[in-house]
Amino acid sequence: MTARCLRDESASNTRQIIALSISASLVFFVADRSAVADNGRGAQLAAICASCHRLDGRDKGIPPIIGLDEESLARAMQAFKSGERSSQIMHVISLSLSNEEITSLAHYLSSLRMDTKRP
Amino acid sequence: MKCWTRRKIGCFAGATCLAALVPRVARSKVSARVVVIGGGAGGATVAKYLAASATMIEVTLIEPKPRYTTCFFSNLYLAGLRSLESLTHGYETLAQRYGVNVVHDSVKAINPGGKTVALESGAKLPYDRVVLAPGIAFKYGSIEGYDETATQTMPHAWNAGPQTRLLRQQLESMEDGGVFVVVAPPDPFRCPPGPYERASLVAYYFKQYKPRAKILILDAKDSFFEQDLFQDAWNRHYPGMIEWLPAQFTGGVKAVDLKGLSVKTASETFPAAVANIIPPQMAGELAQQVGLADQSGWCPVDPITFESKLQPGIHVVGDATLGGEMPKSAFGANSQAKACAFAIAAALTGAERAAPHLFNTCFTVLAADDAVSDAISFTPSDGTIKISDILISTVGESAEIRRQAVRQANGWYAAFTHDLFG
Repeated sequence: MTARCLRDESASNTRQIIALSISASLVFFVADRSAVADNGRGAQLAAICASCHRLDGRDKGIPPIIGLDEESLARAMQAFKSGERSSQIMHVISLSLSNEEITSLAHYLSSLRMDTKRP
Repeated sequence: MKCWTRRKIGCFAGATCLAALVPRVARSKVSARVVVIGGGAGGATVAKYLAASATMIEVTLIEPKPRYTTCFFSNLYLAGLRSLESLTHGYETLAQRYGVNVVHDSVKAINPGGKTVALESGAKLPYDRVVLAPGIAFKYGSIEGYDETATQTMPHAWNAGPQTRLLRQQLESMEDGGVFVVVAPPDPFRCPPGPYERASLVAYYFKQYKPRAKILILDAKDSFFEQDLFQDAWNRHYPGMIEWLPAQFTGGVKAVDLKGLSVKTASETFPAAVANIIPPQMAGELAQQVGLADQSGWCPVDPITFESKLQPGIHVVGDATLGGEMPKSAFGANSQAKACAFAIAAALTGAERAAPHLFNTCFTVLAADDAVSDAISFTPSDGTIKISDILISTVGESAEIRRQAVRQANGWYAAFTHDLFG
């Protein structure tokens, strides 16, 4: 494991020095993540999209999917699914989604806004 | 739900007490603890999505390196098309925006009975679930003379960083007319198109600066992924520069000579000006230590939750898994990691669990203006993962389609690394 390699670099140091250097470099942020978790079906489906599209809409070279209305998104996904719109990647992705999932996904994506801080 | 608010209400840094290395998050609100080990594509994704989707779970990410250089796209660095810095990412956003406790340390041991992770620094982290994303380890010794020390003479450059930089330096120092030997590993290995993309992009560099140089690929296999696409590109872009020798012609690579700089197969010895040895692979070292790998060297997992079939309560994602028909890729690791994160959130908090979807998409760059892609969907089936649909670029596509794929590849890299670290 790479972890082992990195540790080897400092193997000659004493444990104390390691502890000092590691501790000094660590900052533990104590987060208050008490807001409502975003883990519903739409968010889980949108996680698929986030592997290629930014969910803050700031894409370059990849078409943005944020800022579109629900109907347009659903129509686009159905067009990719049927092959009416050409894209081998989107064809494979949309084929794996049921019509119900496409509806949920479109609903969720249309609720996001540019710069929304989502994964 | 649009976005959550996050309030930094305190921080800790100190050297007086190692026990304090255990992350301190608002204890009263924590209902479960998950420790994620390994900060690559799989581990970073699990940590981020778990922290984002399950606010009552305290997520700790253990990764020794302060910054991560992606193996994907590192062939573009070898070609001179990207800087290594542009492929290097930090963990600040995971900590500051998502509240992941990022601990830069190494794991000494995992105690599944006591449900604790022991760090080299001495800290012990309790967990309800632990996720390993240990990546790959190399089977040193399977090629005679090739051990960890040998990587300083003949780099593998299959973990990005210093090894990649060393290989680039060697290629830059190589005299025009020299032979660059690439040893390609047997299946399964990280990034199936990787060795051949590397040959393509080093050829791109040679074509500009060392046009008399040659590239020889000594393969452990008799065929390789997207072979027709690669060989078509080699004929079009780099005629006569790249030669591929399958195992059936050479009998396979048997040994390396570090002093004489040569690679020995069963039938012949090949001198090399620069040699890139990509050894046979297995699941990362920690997975082997913890007993997560079976006789194959890889980790069998449930294809829906990615929980180990050998050690309950421990999940494994990414290259280390025995992933059925899923290739070992960063995209695949990211896809598995999301399925794993949502499954853990559901198990620990009762959150809704939608049906998992697994995908792999890969952009392969053949020249500065020529890239191809593939897209594959997968379905968990009979305890393993099987391909549902697959589409791959074809030979004969227009130059504009290939140029467009290069633009998409760069856009994908930006979005994908944002998904991991941003």
